[in-house]
Amino acid sequence: MDALRALRGLAFAALLAGGGAQAQQDRLHVYNWNNYITEDTAERFEQTCRCRLVQDYYADNEEMLAKLAAGASGYDILVPTGDAVATLIRQGALRPLDRARLPNLANLKPEFLKLWFDPANRYSVPYAYSVTLLGYNEQKMRELGIPTDTWAAIFEPKYLERLRGKVTVLDSQRELMAAALIYLGFAAYDTDAAHWKQARELILRAKPYWAAFNAASYIKELTVGNIWLAHGYSNDMHTARQDALKAGRKFTIGYSTPKEGAVFAVDNLVMHKSGRRPDLAYRFMNFLLEPESSAALSNAIGAGSPNAAAMRLIRPEIAENRAIFPGPEQLAKMQQLHELTRAERRLLNRMWIEIKVR
Amino acid sequence: MAVPRAERVTKWLIAGPPLAFLLAFFLLPSLIMALASLRYPGEFGGLAPLAARPGEESGLTLENYALFFGDWVYAQIFAKSLVIAALTTFACLVLAYPLALLIARSPKKRRDFMVLLVILPFASNFLVRVYAWMIILGPMDLLFTRFAVIVGMVYVHLPFMILPLYTNLEKHDPTLLDAAQDLGANAWHTFWRVTFPLSLPGVFSGSALVFIPVLGMFAIPELLGGKDDWMVGNMIKEAFLGTRDWPFGSMLSLMLTLAVLAIAGAAALFARRGAPNE
Repeated sequence: MDALRALRGLAFAALLAGGGAQAQQDRLHVYNWNNYITEDTAERFEQTCRCRLVQDYYADNEEMLAKLAAGASGYDILVPTGDAVATLIRQGALRPLDRARLPNLANLKPEFLKLWFDPANRYSVPYAYSVTLLGYNEQKMRELGIPTDTWAAIFEPKYLERLRGKVTVLDSQRELMAAALIYLGFAAYDTDAAHWKQARELILRAKPYWAAFNAASYIKELTVGNIWLAHGYSNDMHTARQDALKAGRKFTIGYSTPKEGAVFAVDNLVMHKSGRRPDLAYRFMNFLLEPESSAALSNAIGAGSPNAAAMRLIRPEIAENRAIFPGPEQLAKMQQLHELTRAERRLLNRMWIEIKVR
Repeated sequence: MAVPRAERVTKWLIAGPPLAFLLAFFLLPSLIMALASLRYPGEFGGLAPLAARPGEESGLTLENYALFFGDWVYAQIFAKSLVIAALTTFACLVLAYPLALLIARSPKKRRDFMVLLVILPFASNFLVRVYAWMIILGPMDLLFTRFAVIVGMVYVHLPFMILPLYTNLEKHDPTLLDAAQDLGANAWHTFWRVTFPLSLPGVFSGSALVFIPVLGMFAIPELLGGKDDWMVGNMIKEAFLGTRDWPFGSMLSLMLTLAVLAIAGAAALFARRGAPNE
């Protein structure tokens, strides 16, 4: 009994001491996508800066914006996608960047600078990107004769008839609408209500054949073989392919960008005004722009890298994969989502509810 | 019939803390929600300014309610959620009753252990357990179906039905069963005319504990459900996190609270009328 009490006292003392030591240490707060900085990169940075990297995670931009709107603060760095960067800039929530403190900007590919949401890169630098595309069970697609280079595979009943209950689409208003709009020949960022209605009709026509709207578990469902075709992100499909290979499945997971074009999401490093350590934030940004850091991410999760200097460090099977690193003619067809006004958000939400109910 | 002062003080001491808790954590948030539901959404999420400004959507409005009552899709999701909650409650009742009865009629020494087994699943996070169901149902081709949603709901909420039933059944006087038998009732009659009516309070509280959380659940339909299994909880979550439309989400939450209160009120009324005169 006494030993137990002594132990508890000791643990308490350790907790206090630990808390004290940590309070003295410098901390950098990053609000990031899950698993978007490799552990190794994080450790290397902690060693060079003698500080602690504290990360919180979000699963999509809307969630991040919603939590910031609800009062979350104290984040030095955020990693929003382009449309969310635009929203944050208009909100006046970002700190302008001093480019002189980011010498590694020179490593970036010119086509990833000066993007629509921040034409002078005053607030943001590109970090990594993904493409929203189709991932599939290669053997099943061949057996059933389903083309894998077109959005028709998830929208056309003539193909879906052979895939009933084996298809998932992203549980995301913006992404699914964008896929439908692109397939119909409109822009992913189109906000014309009449075009949205056409997209809704296309989705409703295909919906009876789908298994689920899924953003949480399609990687697993593809790798175990429950689902044969999924609408999702290129880095997730990369993971699914690796997992299926590692598990020694009889089938392989492939993924490719539809010929009609696809949503292209560039995630950026930005500094939130509520952050307390801009000095550390600059060091961290510059560190992430080093070829080693960027290549490590591409090698680990199959993310696209905007870093020209990183290309030679990326494993060839990833660097040469056109679904991860699109060629120039594919890049020309890539489209980025734009921010929506509150009226547009409401209209889209109303359509989404109808899509879910009908 | 004046109540002695000391007794009144004791009454307040006992009733006060839970009352304060309800005021602080139920009534107050509900009022905040009610106010939020009467406002316009902010451009970046949150709420538009309360003070009316010319040329801008601001101040108070009934438009969120107009949206809700002007369109059948919302009511449809509410109806679907009610059906799922009712089915789940019924399935929980059917599964929990025999088990609760078994525990209540076991020797005293074993009861605590059996109750412990019932609450053992709480030792792990419920999301982990729902993921386990994905692994079980996937190969059976049952994942992403309404059935999967109800299985998940029943599984997660079963203990909430067993425990109140058990606490009720445990208190039954065994001599009543002997009396019923002596008077010629067979086992079925004894159960249906003696045990079951006496257990009604347990049935009602267990049903409330299952029905209400199921009605607002969003994680299980999202993970196990298919394309048609959206519930009210998913719609509310989407309003707050997906669309950043707080007023609309608040309105939906308030409607859900009102629906729950209405159903609970109706059930209480029904229970009072149905209860034997004491």
